[in-house]
Amino acid sequence: MLELPQIYAENIHRWLPELLYYSLMTLKIGFFSFIVAVVFGILVALCRVSKNGLVRTLAIWFIEIGRGLPIVVILYIIYFVPPQLFPGLNWTWFSDFTGAVLGLGIHGGAILAEVFRSGIEALHKGQREAAMSLGMTPAKSMVYIILPQATRIVLPPVGNYAIGLLKDTSLCTLIGVNEIMNGAKSIAFSDYQPMAVFILVAGIYFAMSYPLSLLVRALERRLRTAQ
Amino acid sequence: MTFFQILEKNGWYFFTTLLSGWPATLTVASGALVFALIFGLVIALMRISTWRLLRWPATAYLEFFRGTPALVQLFVIYFGFPDWGFQPSPLQAAIIGLGMNGAAYISEIYRAGIESIHRGQMEAALSLGMTPIKAMQHIILPQAIRTMLPPMTNFSIVLLKDTAIVFSIGVLEVMALARQLVTETLTSAPIYLMAGAMYLCVTIPMARLAARLERQRQAWQ
Repeated sequence: MLELPQIYAENIHRWLPELLYYSLMTLKIGFFSFIVAVVFGILVALCRVSKNGLVRTLAIWFIEIGRGLPIVVILYIIYFVPPQLFPGLNWTWFSDFTGAVLGLGIHGGAILAEVFRSGIEALHKGQREAAMSLGMTPAKSMVYIILPQATRIVLPPVGNYAIGLLKDTSLCTLIGVNEIMNGAKSIAFSDYQPMAVFILVAGIYFAMSYPLSLLVRALERRLRTAQ
Repeated sequence: MTFFQILEKNGWYFFTTLLSGWPATLTVASGALVFALIFGLVIALMRISTWRLLRWPATAYLEFFRGTPALVQLFVIYFGFPDWGFQPSPLQAAIIGLGMNGAAYISEIYRAGIESIHRGQMEAALSLGMTPIKAMQHIILPQAIRTMLPPMTNFSIVLLKDTAIVFSIGVLEVMALARQLVTETLTSAPIYLMAGAMYLCVTIPMARLAARLERQRQAWQ
């Protein structure tokens, strides 16, 4: 434990730039899968509250499966299974990055769908009825009345999801994406310094996720006082 | 061969092989759960302590373990600890790693449960001459359990799903065997889908149970 500062003093000028370079990939996966998750989440949430029984059942299945499977299993299924089921198609576009973004996005979609649904359902029905009786169109009442209030409810859980997602991107190393964990593994084992390197990586993750979690907490406090 | 031909020929072999990984998966999950339940309570009690010297290390622990991925924590324990002269087995490293990670999350469940009990309960217990520890043990925690049970069940599901990453440090659980089967038979689709179905068979009923406990708790109040 005592030699750690010395190891860092000798090696950090090599390790840190390389790890920071790889962490760009982590941020890239996180960003794109967040967008995919939000899109999936909104679509599935709308299906979940649909009046059509079949659509609703499909949405429930998507949510149950997406939340019930370990993320690693989702990543493996998304990345390895489709090319094998449909070998006739052209799969050259399907990189490990695409697989990672889709896999994390599907998992996130299932989580966010429930968040969005609770946001929509938390609003009293009267809000919408009042907007309509004032002569607003359904679309207008959605944009000016429902969404602004629902956003306030769902923002903290969405923020918490984003923090979890940032950490979950580390799993993409298991399907071979060249993100920070992958870089760390190659440095750790070529330099025979696993402890020092992995603690440094933990520090980098912490530096990325902690500001985000402070932000979410500040947001939670502000929204609570606003209510 | 098509998907169904492979399944017909090797399906039973895949099934029995994957099934033989469940003891390891369940050992890691239950071991880490017990670790997290005990250690998480210690962290929670430190966090609500009035003494800063206890509160601050517990908060630092919580922030660090919730701010970094479980995979990194596992790697630090499994690959890093030998640098300091302690070589854990893959199973030990998995239980310690997921357990320490889980303790951070579970301590917040304890804290919310303890804080949901009215202050007067503690004051009443103390005024009856109980020590703070006795009051916690006989008065506060038994009442808090009802509030804590649904989130604890949800946490167990998360923990069970998290065990799917421990193959990366060499534990021979379900995913490790799935990967072995894939390299052995050069087919991936039926194997990973079957492994996924097995996880769902456990996690979906557990999620139903958690939802039911939550409804019961709300009905009680």
